Amino acid sequence: MPARSMGPVNPAITIATIGLVVVVAVPFAFIVLQAIFPELGRGSLAAPFSRLADVLADARLLRMTGNTLLLGLGVVVLSAVIAVPLAVLRALFRVPGALFWDLMMLVPFMIPPYIATLGWVMTLQPRGYLEQIFGFNLAPFLFSVWGIIFVMTLNTFPVIYFAVSRTVETVGSRYADVGRVFGASSWRAFFRITLPLSTPGLAASLLLVFAAAIEEYGTPAALGRRAGFDVLVTGIDLRVSDWPIDLPGAAILSLVLVVLSFAAFLVQRWVLTRRSYQTTTGKPQAFEKRALGGWTVPVLVAFGLVSFLATAVPLLGILMTALSRTLSGGLALSNLGLDNFGAILSDGPGALRALTTSLSLGVAAALLTGLLGALSAYAVVKTRIGGRQVLDVLTILPNALPGIVVAVGLILAWNQPWLPVTPYNTALILLLAYCCILLPQPVRYATAAFHQVGDNLEAAARVFGASPLTAFRRILLPLILPSLIASMLLVFAVATRELVASIIVAPVGMQTISTYIWRQFEQGSVGLGMAMAFVTVLITTVFPLVILSLLGKRGSLL
Amino acid sequence: MLTTTRRAGLAALVALAMAGTAQADVTVYTAGPASLIEKLAAGFTEETGIKVDFFQATTGQVMARIEAEAANPVVDVLISASWDTATDFAARDWLVPYASPNSETVPDFLKTDTAVAQGVSALAIAWNPNSGTPRPAEWADLAKPEFKDLVNLPDPAQSGATFELVAALEAQGGTELFEELAANGAIVAGANAEALNPVLQGAKAAVFGAVDYISLNGKAKGESIEVIFPASGTVIAPRPAMILNWSKNQDEAKQFIDYMLSDQGQAIVAATNLMPARADIAADRPLIEDLNILTIDTEAVYAGREATLAGFAATFQ
Repeated sequence: MPARSMGPVNPAITIATIGLVVVVAVPFAFIVLQAIFPELGRGSLAAPFSRLADVLADARLLRMTGNTLLLGLGVVVLSAVIAVPLAVLRALFRVPGALFWDLMMLVPFMIPPYIATLGWVMTLQPRGYLEQIFGFNLAPFLFSVWGIIFVMTLNTFPVIYFAVSRTVETVGSRYADVGRVFGASSWRAFFRITLPLSTPGLAASLLLVFAAAIEEYGTPAALGRRAGFDVLVTGIDLRVSDWPIDLPGAAILSLVLVVLSFAAFLVQRWVLTRRSYQTTTGKPQAFEKRALGGWTVPVLVAFGLVSFLATAVPLLGILMTALSRTLSGGLALSNLGLDNFGAILSDGPGALRALTTSLSLGVAAALLTGLLGALSAYAVVKTRIGGRQVLDVLTILPNALPGIVVAVGLILAWNQPWLPVTPYNTALILLLAYCCILLPQPVRYATAAFHQVGDNLEAAARVFGASPLTAFRRILLPLILPSLIASMLLVFAVATRELVASIIVAPVGMQTISTYIWRQFEQGSVGLGMAMAFVTVLITTVFPLVILSLLGKRGSLL
Repeated sequence: MLTTTRRAGLAALVALAMAGTAQADVTVYTAGPASLIEKLAAGFTEETGIKVDFFQATTGQVMARIEAEAANPVVDVLISASWDTATDFAARDWLVPYASPNSETVPDFLKTDTAVAQGVSALAIAWNPNSGTPRPAEWADLAKPEFKDLVNLPDPAQSGATFELVAALEAQGGTELFEELAANGAIVAGANAEALNPVLQGAKAAVFGAVDYISLNGKAKGESIEVIFPASGTVIAPRPAMILNWSKNQDEAKQFIDYMLSDQGQAIVAATNLMPARADIAADRPLIEDLNILTIDTEAVYAGREATLAGFAATFQ
């Protein structure tokens, strides 16, 4: 039975509530208000609900919603097909070079989706790198629904891979061993015991992938328009970027996205609350992984193939473009050089400032969302306070909100003339935007981890006189720390490269890595943008690895 | 662990808050190229000591920000990539009338009481000479069989200049040309840069209606790209600069407009391969008098914008 908070107010819950209100509820409230009151931006509440009917009656809405669902489900299914087998193998068997494969699975997450997509375009389009090397192209595939799903899957499957391998590892083979003692075959033990017990991690990561897929802008915008495949996010973007700007229309379409994501969230919750998944009981567990035996080669081929597609191809596409003096020169040796990397250095102040801004914002966002995520997940899973479902809903909301809408909500909320102080037009507004967009990551990971921690552990601590906060800090937090740190790492990676919200809310005169890259593209300096992107991928991959190795084994993701 | 995390988080917050508190003297929102506003801002600050803080994005993103900020606007000077913005904002009575002393040699069609062009771009055919296609001279050449599946068009819904080109050419010869282009496999490929990149790499041979200065800059960097202005005519996109009436720094804003139109400011404009707004400034590229400019009935064209865009989208479905 879950532990009950003994004290009058558990400080963890207070902090979580305040944090969630500021980071999520405030901007979301303003988006809802904008949907209801079209004149909100001018400070007027005139003509409420006047836009609802015509936006929702738009004939394109049904098609866009259908396409969005197709995209979300397609990416979830394909990601699971790729990630789950690899993750289970990684968790239960001794895979040769496991750390290397983990790194290869981490890199795709560090490549900004719009950059990876551009890398794929440069590689697969007619006269792209593939055709320059092998004489054929795959443009018809790339510019189709399947191409979009393929590219987005390669970008998101690591979420499932890391969540599932971590969860299955925690479940370990111990429970399966019990099954085998009672006569089950190893397959049966896996499917009836290990896999079901790993459901929290799997369900949480599937939800994240679904929400991320329906919210992602860059890939559908770059590939979908040519395939005639428009989704809700591209529809929202058109309303926000086409004069006259239609903020109420965009807000209403965003709420449709929120409904979709919320439905997925309900499914996930239903799965998680049907039974108990507690496997971490404080009893010592032997982490004895099995040998692969005759399966070693096929397994390595599978890891190698996925790494090649997800990491090597986009990275090489980016690198080749960055090394090309001109795009039209192609892969000829005479056209290759370090000019673009030199240009980044010579633009020192601009590029360096953008890097510093984004990296510090990434670290700050990771720390804040980590803290807030752990406390919120704790409040939702381990306490019985009233209204904890509301907290849970607040933590999933942002996942369904497109970056551009979060940005508009933040401006509406924080640029009110009557506010005595405001984070708007300071770097803090970017931090708020990143925290809002990325909070679901740590929350989902931490929630899954808390579901697996036996309540007897916290209860034991409380029996020995620990306060709720001490029990949280000394017992629960260390147990969920590996999952939490993994998710904070993802927050860091995504926050340092976030584009859509950054462009709109960036304070005047401030550049982030992504807006810097985007500006190079806008001006036709694709090579320069790709060089910056390559440097960024290196930094965002190496930086967390260094931090993790400094933290030692306890915080090791890999 | 928790306290360390919190302390580190707080320290980061304080550092960030400090970084953002520097007060700007004049705030410019611009849809122009980033390098242009960077140089203009630096030159202006050097000359006047007034600091410029700028926000640069696409016209759409700049407008989204202004719209969201409407309750408490911060922008002093707006430079749009679409003349339509100047007309629309003037009609909303959001602009301050100002005639800069430096605007005397700006032609009349590039200035109004409340707006003046910073520079001008024109639309052209951007053609890759390595594409194995014959050099096109006219818009209609891109509908020929040699260009089957090899032509990109920027999306008129995303680019104001492309929309005006579509409107002008449709006013001239109806929708036939675009139907032929669509039948010849031409595709609509997002905003300007997205349409140009495949042409540079060779996936496509030409952009129908490319923004000239981006392609000219690419050519200067050694890209295999040629900018062709059809003799039958093209449209220009003046980039209007305007002062917002809610600005609390109107004197500084006026000084910025003056600097933008000074010999020095216009030389910076010319260096980015845009046409300078002032007729008496030289530039190393074809200028307005070298081009055959198609005129459009702006009011009627913009009144029919939605129908034009819908028709265009249906043609290229």
